[in-house]
Amino acid sequence: MALAIQAEGIYKTFRSGWRGKKEKLVLKGIDLQIDEGEIFGILGPNGAGKTTLLSILSTLLLPDQGKVQVLGIDALQDGHRIRERVNISSGNANFLWSLTVRENLHFYGMLYGLTGKQREEKVNSLISLFNLEEHRDVPFDQLSTGMKQRLSLAKSLLNDPAVLFLDEPTVGLDPSVSIWIRDQIRSIQKERGMTVLLTTHNMREAEYLCGRIAFLKAGEILTTGTAETLKRMVRIGDIIRIEFKGKFSEDPLLRADGVINYTLSDNFCEVMVDEGEKRLGPLVALLIQGGAQIEKVTLGQTDLEDVFIEFAKETDSDMGLRL
Amino acid sequence: MSSLNLQRKLIQIWAFVFKNWIMTKRNVFSLFEILFWPVVGFLSVGLLTNFLELDADMSGFILIGIISMSVTQVCQIDVAYVLLYDLWSKSIKHTFIAPVHPFQLILGSWLIGVFRSFIVFLLLSVLSAVAFGFDFLRPGIGPLSLFLLGLFLISALVGISVCILVLLFGYKADVAAWSISSLMALICGIYYPISILPSPLPEIARAIPLTYFLEYFRSFYGFDGEAKTLLGLGFGLTVFYLMIEAFLFRVVLYRSRKNGVLIKLSE
Repeated sequence: MALAIQAEGIYKTFRSGWRGKKEKLVLKGIDLQIDEGEIFGILGPNGAGKTTLLSILSTLLLPDQGKVQVLGIDALQDGHRIRERVNISSGNANFLWSLTVRENLHFYGMLYGLTGKQREEKVNSLISLFNLEEHRDVPFDQLSTGMKQRLSLAKSLLNDPAVLFLDEPTVGLDPSVSIWIRDQIRSIQKERGMTVLLTTHNMREAEYLCGRIAFLKAGEILTTGTAETLKRMVRIGDIIRIEFKGKFSEDPLLRADGVINYTLSDNFCEVMVDEGEKRLGPLVALLIQGGAQIEKVTLGQTDLEDVFIEFAKETDSDMGLRL
Repeated sequence: MSSLNLQRKLIQIWAFVFKNWIMTKRNVFSLFEILFWPVVGFLSVGLLTNFLELDADMSGFILIGIISMSVTQVCQIDVAYVLLYDLWSKSIKHTFIAPVHPFQLILGSWLIGVFRSFIVFLLLSVLSAVAFGFDFLRPGIGPLSLFLLGLFLISALVGISVCILVLLFGYKADVAAWSISSLMALICGIYYPISILPSPLPEIARAIPLTYFLEYFRSFYGFDGEAKTLLGLGFGLTVFYLMIEAFLFRVVLYRSRKNGVLIKLSE
């Protein structure tokens, strides 16, 4: 599959203070490869460098070092050509405050060179796609945060981008609006097949939307993979908790597939497995065969948050060792 | 360039006309900019010339200055607004992630500036005829058109300077939108000939094209100056500065992509 985005050895330092003497190294040698048509997530805490990385990939910011290619075009040499085929939507969206929803879309549509009829059709279809009909003539500064975000997403689709950059698209939104926006992103991507690069610090959002995820911390990518791969990689599986009566030998636990770890007491057993839903049935069956009378079974699934915490811990301890 | 490509480029230029026009329509303050302040300023100065019992030539000298100043101020502010509106609404990154050239951005906003300032000119020239008996059409349509073109181009120069300063200094630069033209008024001889200025101000004035355009137009009213030479110097300097500013704009835009100003101004 062709690559939509390829970044190699990206470094970025911001300078501030008198004569730029205060330096902050924000990105430390980022390598990234994103396939065409995938939704790729960059996950990390505040200050990890997510927005800086996204800004570099979208040509808004130039790196100090490194190579960036978007759709096979060199971003450092030919950013203008890239800008014709990409677009961006950010959380906490800001647009010209006096312009209405419709006027803002027309203005940005013109910036992408859409002609009158073409633009009218596009603006109307996006207004309808994002349920903005009732607000089409409302000035931007009178919109709710959710409506502003819808407008931001609508604007980002004006030029039918081959690569769409979404910078924390649901930040500050209430849960119902966030869910609606995530569903929209997913269905639009599926329908149009565009590449989406999304930054977020919301683990569930990344897990729900992204095919692959990169964990970014303090300007470094800790790891990249699918949500499932990442969970397996850190070996913190799902937890199956079983309350039982009677006694049984530990043999079934040792023999069971997917068991990472377990603790056993008189009438309680906690088993860590790689994939909870898959392992639950066979494990319970083995315990029953081993003589246990099962009273209660609960499954606690690992989410990306646990994985992220684990990765962050590992990195910190590695750094500790190196020091 | 194919016709489709040309059409696309023209639409991109029109985008900035559209933006400034809508912002003007929605902003009561902009009505003050094109009607209230120029008229109040003009009438105040005109009445002062009456009070001082200046002769027709001297009154004309000052009225040409005040009208020129109003035209320049209104036109330059539109060019500056093209980035100031983005700056104030924190949406600057959306403009620069679109495939637009700085030239399109400036040209679009300049066109709306020319339109607005031409209205100001019409208004003030009618007022000058009615209230003070001063005929702005005396030099003829040709010289008047060249004079106005000079003023519009100077406005572009000032507006581009503000845009460059915005990309360099962000919010700290918006004050430049109103102060650069006032500084020009002081130096370029809006109310008096530059010969009365202490050194080195006359030398500085000679490096500013507005000085030459004012002297050019005043030469039709009996003041010293070789019209063709003054016009040549005015346009020559203007083109020279436009080329420098075009280069500087590109450099500053590159710098703002390098140091993250575009991102910071959008947060």
